[in-house]
Amino acid sequence: MSKDTKMRATINQKLTEMGERERLKELLRAKLTECGWKDQMKAHCKEVIKEKGLEHVTVEDLVVEITPKGRALVPDSVKKELLHRIRAFLAQHAS
Amino acid sequence: MTGSESHYSATKIPHTDFQMKMEDMPLSGPDNTKLEALVHDIYSELVEDACLGLCFEVHRAVKQGYFFLDETDQESLKEFEIVDQPGVDIFGQVYNQWKNKECECPNCKRLIAASRFAPHLEKCLGMGRNSSRIANRRLASNNNMSKSESDQEDNDDLNDNDWSYGAEKKAKKRKSDKNQNSPRRSKSLKHKNGELGSGVASEPYKYNYNTGINYETLGPDEVRSFLTTQCGVISEHTKKMCTRSQRCPQHTDEQRRAVRVFLLGPSATSLPDAEAVVESDSFDIPDGQTLMSRLQWEDSPDISPADSASSKASTNHSDSRRPKKKKRTPLSLNAVGGVGGGGGGVGVGNVTGGSSSSSSQSNISLPTKKKRPKLPAPSISSIYDDLN
Repeated sequence: MSKDTKMRATINQKLTEMGERERLKELLRAKLTECGWKDQMKAHCKEVIKEKGLEHVTVEDLVVEITPKGRALVPDSVKKELLHRIRAFLAQHAS
Repeated sequence: MTGSESHYSATKIPHTDFQMKMEDMPLSGPDNTKLEALVHDIYSELVEDACLGLCFEVHRAVKQGYFFLDETDQESLKEFEIVDQPGVDIFGQVYNQWKNKECECPNCKRLIAASRFAPHLEKCLGMGRNSSRIANRRLASNNNMSKSESDQEDNDDLNDNDWSYGAEKKAKKRKSDKNQNSPRRSKSLKHKNGELGSGVASEPYKYNYNTGINYETLGPDEVRSFLTTQCGVISEHTKKMCTRSQRCPQHTDEQRRAVRVFLLGPSATSLPDAEAVVESDSFDIPDGQTLMSRLQWEDSPDISPADSASSKASTNHSDSRRPKKKKRTPLSLNAVGGVGGGGGGVGVGNVTGGSSSSSSQSNISLPTKKKRPKLPAPSISSIYDDLN
């Protein structure tokens, strides 16, 4: 639905323009580090690297291995908070 | 959101008209889910961003070679593991291990608690700044002529830059005592004074508080010779004579004169104090004995230099006290001009030298004469009656 698309585009644009996107990014990073998600992921990375060999590991390798696991491992509290903030932003500026 | 829904449900405008107006966006039930989907999409974007960031970071670390830096071999890892036992900190050390231990002092062989060991050693061995200060103070407060030789360290400490009150005082004392111990007086006084006076010449650089001459042990000649060069004021406490110079600031000229009268008799030597006009205390002594006794009583706060630090403080007090008395009198007395010259001569002989020195002095002597009535001296006023 182009309406939707347009709406999305608008919202995204607003998010970025107002700096909310950056803020949310920072918030997420901080929360993930706090809760130990980052260390967990780093350990997983080590395994991948050991598996693939130190010299030959590429970004793609890591991305492919890390991203799905990373998404899954985000704690619920962090997820909930972020969703809440996004919704709040939308409520304030979108409708 | 529900509010906005109801608000906007009536206004269904084609989206093209309000592309830029977020608040006019149509939000109905199904849109809500879309919104939610949007929210989730945004969230996913953010999470993916974070993951990617991490991947880049790790990849760079791997390629730059610092990714595995924190990993050491298994042995080291085990060695520095965090310890989690009771009574022990995370490094495995017992933190109050030395609290209850006792150490044996190598000097005095006593068992001292560990935390008190260092200060005890300092005092026990006599080293360290504090111990020398305490020792000096203790020695200084001894009224006996116990010239206990201080340690070498004491002298060194006193020469240090960090002065304590005691050390400073001692240094001043030493200097002044050094000047007094001229060869002249030392010989004759030495045999006479026995244990008391010997210290004066022998150890000029030591603590000379205790050096003073006891007039009872001196013969008249020695007394006279002593008094010509030294202050000689007798301390009521110790019965010793002040060994400082004639200009000694602790005693006044009238005291010195009184002492001379007392020791040498009313017709004794004149006091060479002409230049001491500044003090304006040329004291005419009519009745030597009674006045002397009064003076001595008066002087008792003005302690001889031989005494301790505290007494020096009191000396200062009494010294300050005296000037007040002096100042009062000149105001009242200048009217009595004529008596001045005669007043100088009133002093029974011994004062003549001083008082006749100059007429300028007579003015000064006047006030001092009048001062006497302020002292507890009924007999003095009788002298004035004679004068007048």
